[in-house]
Amino acid sequence: MNTKIETAETKLELEIDGEQVEVRPGATVLEAARELGVEIPVLCHDDRVDPAGCCRMCLVEIEGQRRLQPACTFKASPGMEVKTKTERVARHRRGLLSLYKADHRLDERGRPVSRGVHDKLADHIDTYGTGPELPPVNAPRASRSDENPYIQFDPDACVVCGLCVRYCDEVEAVSAITLFGRGASTTIGTADQRSLLDTSCELCGGCIAVCPTGAMTEKPSLDQPSEQIVRTTCNFCGVGCQLDLHVATVAAPKGPSQTVSQDLGAERSEVVGPQARVSETMKRVVRVTSPEPGTTVNDGNLCVKGRFSYEFIHHEERLTEPLIRGEDGELHPASWADAIARVAEGLHGVKQRYGADALGFVSSSRCTGEENYLMQKLSRAAFGTNNCHQCAAT
Amino acid sequence: MFGAGAMTNSITEIREAELLFVIGSNTTEAHPIIAMEMKRAVRRGAKLIVADPRAIWLSDIADWHMQLKPGTDVALLNAMTHVIISEGLVDEDFIAKHTDGFESVVEATRETTPEWAETITSVPAETIREAARAYATTRKAGIYYTLGVTEHTHGTDNVYCLANLVLMTGHLGVRSAGMNPLRGQNNVQGANDAGASPVFYPGYQRVSDPAARAKFEQAWGVELSPDDGMNLNVMMKAMMRGEVKGMYVMGEDIVLSEPNASNIEQGLNNIEFLVVQDIFVNETIRFADVVLPAACFAEKDGVFTNSDRRVQRVRKAVDAPGQARPDWEILCDVARACGYPMPHYKDAGEVYAEFSGLCGQFAGISHERIDEQGGLQWPCPDAEHPGTVTLHGDGPIKGHAPFQATVYRPSKELPDDEYPLLLSTGRTLYHYNAATQTRRSSGAVARQPENFIEMHRKDARKRGLADGQRVRVVSRRGAVLARVNISPRMRFGCVWMPLHFGDANTNYLTNDAGDPVTQTAEYKVCAVRVETVDDEASAAQ
Ligand code: SF4
Ligand code: SF4
Ligand code: FES
Repeated sequence: MNTKIETAETKLELEIDGEQVEVRPGATVLEAARELGVEIPVLCHDDRVDPAGCCRMCLVEIEGQRRLQPACTFKASPGMEVKTKTERVARHRRGLLSLYKADHRLDERGRPVSRGVHDKLADHIDTYGTGPELPPVNAPRASRSDENPYIQFDPDACVVCGLCVRYCDEVEAVSAITLFGRGASTTIGTADQRSLLDTSCELCGGCIAVCPTGAMTEKPSLDQPSEQIVRTTCNFCGVGCQLDLHVATVAAPKGPSQTVSQDLGAERSEVVGPQARVSETMKRVVRVTSPEPGTTVNDGNLCVKGRFSYEFIHHEERLTEPLIRGEDGELHPASWADAIARVAEGLHGVKQRYGADALGFVSSSRCTGEENYLMQKLSRAAFGTNNCHQCAAT
Repeated sequence: MFGAGAMTNSITEIREAELLFVIGSNTTEAHPIIAMEMKRAVRRGAKLIVADPRAIWLSDIADWHMQLKPGTDVALLNAMTHVIISEGLVDEDFIAKHTDGFESVVEATRETTPEWAETITSVPAETIREAARAYATTRKAGIYYTLGVTEHTHGTDNVYCLANLVLMTGHLGVRSAGMNPLRGQNNVQGANDAGASPVFYPGYQRVSDPAARAKFEQAWGVELSPDDGMNLNVMMKAMMRGEVKGMYVMGEDIVLSEPNASNIEQGLNNIEFLVVQDIFVNETIRFADVVLPAACFAEKDGVFTNSDRRVQRVRKAVDAPGQARPDWEILCDVARACGYPMPHYKDAGEVYAEFSGLCGQFAGISHERIDEQGGLQWPCPDAEHPGTVTLHGDGPIKGHAPFQATVYRPSKELPDDEYPLLLSTGRTLYHYNAATQTRRSSGAVARQPENFIEMHRKDARKRGLADGQRVRVVSRRGAVLARVNISPRMRFGCVWMPLHFGDANTNYLTNDAGDPVTQTAEYKVCAVRVETVDDEASAAQ
């Protein structure tokens, strides 16, 4: 019966660039344009936050309106006629992009600098062009360093669209960052200019993900282009966020990251055998992003673990070779063949001496479904015991 | 529960909910992205009930925060049940059509008034009344819970109580309602589905069911044991008694994550043969005879199944370091070396196909299909089936769902003169389980470098403790060091510690007393005392 109410909703019809489209009441011109696949450039808009209509990038012509209107906030109405491809709109876009460019640090080719993975501003300049070159504005914006390990803000690349602040308020709901300053020197900061670590920030990195210019970037992978993107599932909690792992070839392992408690390392040093990591270059995961909003269960969002806790993948303390405990009571490196033979012998020995039910197989909710299937099959089919469980049955 | 013990509804339905009842789940820290959806629902006007001993972040935006004494959930929930029944707010139609045994619950909760519950839980009777009414009278009202509900000696009762609430109000088979356990780890659901269970073959087919056994004997070409196996808690205790002599542990640090760690260590010392397969050196490896280096999630293919039954792909992005190999390949080699003819699967997709071919509710899922259209939610019985967003669209899966009457029993170990503080344990946002992965992250280290104990200002003052001071936390089972963290979020008399730190393992303290049905250990309630330590280093800091 719920479904009836939903489908009974009336629709309204309008025209965009000469084509008819039907939308639900309350939809914006931008949403209507998307229905038709008509591209309208945006900077300050994201479906996850309330529209602010502040960047003026999305202005379009609407029949009967003297001024151009922002598609992201303007509501569609029945019979409305919208034009997105007129010379007037094109001129507006070029003029606006010139302004943004003048207020932005440029690279040697004269494009806005970008240190993030995506840069809508640069893309829009490539697509729509700019008007006359304007003298640089160079608004004074204090640049400061912040001791947090992940998030870097570059005021010279910021167009003050406010999206990061709204995301932090409305989606993550911790309100750690805010717009401050006035006029041309408005920029992004924290209350009292504290480090992010001393605010309510949960280091989700959503500000990086929504920033249209790359002014918010990820410290560990600054300026690191990605060669390949692999879609996978987060290996931490049970939400199952989809992740895009960005892979790049980098020079041989960077120095060990000094993050593991030292005593753990020292106490274990006799356990781990010599670890030769000789490769001159290797493929590494250099960054993690979320798939586009609206496409997967996480709707474009990630938490601090999913977005930033990937250092462990290439950590120098990873186990890299099989180990067998020797007569001396220490663990020694061994070949796979020897290690597996030793496993078979050890498990069989117990089964022979005490019966299959003296064996226990502990599977893992950290491993894949296939691996859990095989572990229980090993326990049941190869050894004949149902003593098989995973570490967290909850 | 109603069939399978998975989330009845989907994560994406949360944002449309009209009421959320969050119990025993610090969602913002343990399941941040689900919490985000909850915040979104609240912004759209949904009501929020939080039942948690700590003033967790979500309680700040809650309409009702029931800050109950740890371990008194059954009393609280039975009082809510009492209100709903005595005020005639039950869904009689649903009860008649889809359930059995309602009378037993009516009987069991006749005396469990909110006033009675107030004396046990310390939640004001009026708050219990209001929350119960709101829950019963809102259509799209969903329950969300995690380990805070199950990790008790009465964990099963807690879950029964919640199920009773869902059934008597007919909040099942409705979008954005239902009963939703949030899984703590990425693939808890998938591991259960795949049969990593002492009583179920893959797909929840009972080991004790002769027909199921015949089916798997046929598929795997061997005779199988008809006897239920030991679950992990029982297995650990059997190991301590010397009855389990050999273990194969994959992807887990049992010393760090199982309760009563010193007993576990003793057991492991006595064991004759131990294999540990993992990606990092962990605490358990100290006892291993063989260590097998495994690939991590970014280095292998397969699937994870999340809390809302969504089977999604894990894809290889980079090579594993050194000689490390994917767990599934290692397991196949081991099985063959042990004389079992494990097929030569060409990839993880073939393993999945073998599994799904044996389990009706997964038959329509394959790697190819997920690659084409993204994650699929089971049940998904054939290749044309779109997957199931909301379970029980037409009544509980198997005929009538039974009500289960419950009686409040205090936790096994409560504070006394010697151990006057009640300790609960849990997770934090920055770390993850044994933290073998997150402790190697700079953010986690910047935020939470070492073990800490959260306590109420008054408890600290009583003992002359200052914020940041190092203390020894002692229970009947062991002691660990931690720093005091005075927190407005704690109840007086209760303390809380995270579970993530190997060098100060909180599980030396926790109680391994198990729930009578699931044997899930009581991580959430045990008694401790706090002692000051003369530590020059900490004085200097
Ligand atoms: S940092 Fe990025 S998202 Fe934030 S205001 Fe500047 S341009 Fe917008
Ligand atoms: S990104 Fe965070 S919320 Fe999402 S699955 Fe990973 S740990 Fe869970
Ligand atoms: S996108 Fe519409 S004003 Fe910024």
